[in-house]
Amino acid sequence: MDFLGTILWPLKWVVELLLVSWHWLLTFFGMDSAAGITWVLSIVGLVLVVRTALIPLFVKQIKNQRRMMEVAPQLKKIQDKYKGKRDQLSREAMSRETMALYKNTGTNPLGSCLPLLVQMPIFFSLFSVLNGAQNSKAGVGPLNATLAKEFGEARLFGGAPLHSSFQSAMNDPAGPQVLVMIIAAIMVVVMTASQFITQLQIVSKNMSDETKASPMFKQQRILLYILPFVFLFSGFAFPLGVMFYWLTTNIWTMVQQFIIIRNMPMPGSEAAREREARLARKGKLEPKSDSATIVVEERKPVQRQQPMGKNRAKKAGGTPQQPGGTAQQPKKNDDGSGASNNTPRK
Amino acid sequence: MIVLDTLLLVPRNIGLAILMLYRRWISPLYGDVCRYYPSCSAYTLGSIQQRGLLLGSLRGGIRILRCNPWAAGGIDDVPPKKHFRYTTTTRGFVVASTQRKG
Repeated sequence: MDFLGTILWPLKWVVELLLVSWHWLLTFFGMDSAAGITWVLSIVGLVLVVRTALIPLFVKQIKNQRRMMEVAPQLKKIQDKYKGKRDQLSREAMSRETMALYKNTGTNPLGSCLPLLVQMPIFFSLFSVLNGAQNSKAGVGPLNATLAKEFGEARLFGGAPLHSSFQSAMNDPAGPQVLVMIIAAIMVVVMTASQFITQLQIVSKNMSDETKASPMFKQQRILLYILPFVFLFSGFAFPLGVMFYWLTTNIWTMVQQFIIIRNMPMPGSEAAREREARLARKGKLEPKSDSATIVVEERKPVQRQQPMGKNRAKKAGGTPQQPGGTAQQPKKNDDGSGASNNTPRK
Repeated sequence: MIVLDTLLLVPRNIGLAILMLYRRWISPLYGDVCRYYPSCSAYTLGSIQQRGLLLGSLRGGIRILRCNPWAAGGIDDVPPKKHFRYTTTTRGFVVASTQRKG
């Protein structure tokens, strides 16, 4: 067994167990054991279990993002500070300050890197189990040779075996299998579309204006339009069974992403503005977190105290000064040119 | 000496090139993910520049383990090496220094 195979062995075992369990359950409820639809539903079930297991991480991220509404004013302050500055040094300084803010307030909205790296082997083992099973190769554990053969030979609509891909159908020695090609083509298009929509949601709606100003963003936009083509071409080599797995995952991700963006958008993004507008229309701005934001924002445009000339200030003498930030203002205005302009001449 | 140094630097520069490709073409797909500044890939890049392919990758791997959903995140710079005897180019590759002290 090769190195990668050894690492993936336990994961493959679990994946096979899930697949066979779902298949057993579906046949228990009276579905045909060898039918294509039974095996496709087993794949869907497998995706549901894997993604459900990852829900706690998702919930944690949502909680963090909700807490982030509380630091939105401070975040905005940093964003305003670097507004319009696009050189690399200020951008770096900005992300540095933003990160420090997240840490100090304990509100890190970012998902962290480790889960990404963990999900990759899960995907690879799923792929190799499905791919092996398509070729009627016995798995490493619960998927024995009989089941694997049944899986690979299972046909959709009476003529499209799960193990064939667009490519293999096209080059079939017995002539092109039109049914398989039609199904595969439709699936590739749907799969690519779902992937594209998910990415588009993030890029166009859930990024703050400051991120959109960065050079990285342009890159991301270009990739967004190049990537569907990559999928389009590579998709033709995937067996139908693998595509069903991929499609189900994509749909799950899309819905999950939609929920996040709608309810917990990144502050300062288009989605955040849409959400505020939506809440305002309904007449219920969220009582706690949103009002906190508004209070802070309203405090800023304090009515500017009229500057006084030295003489008038002396005359006014004991006028009670407003407490707080305004205390500094006379000092600032005393020698500023703006002050002399506004001072009523006598 | 410079020839030897350049040869010694080959693995780390190959590693750096792969990381740069990842950062340019693959990383943007995920959007902002890392809970630290600099991000895990930038940290690994810096570590490999400073300490070579093996030790640098090891440090990068440990950093990724630290970058889990339970981490507080924040600023976490690459600890600089005390006696760094090479030169880093503006593109980020490491080359042998032309002027060496003693």
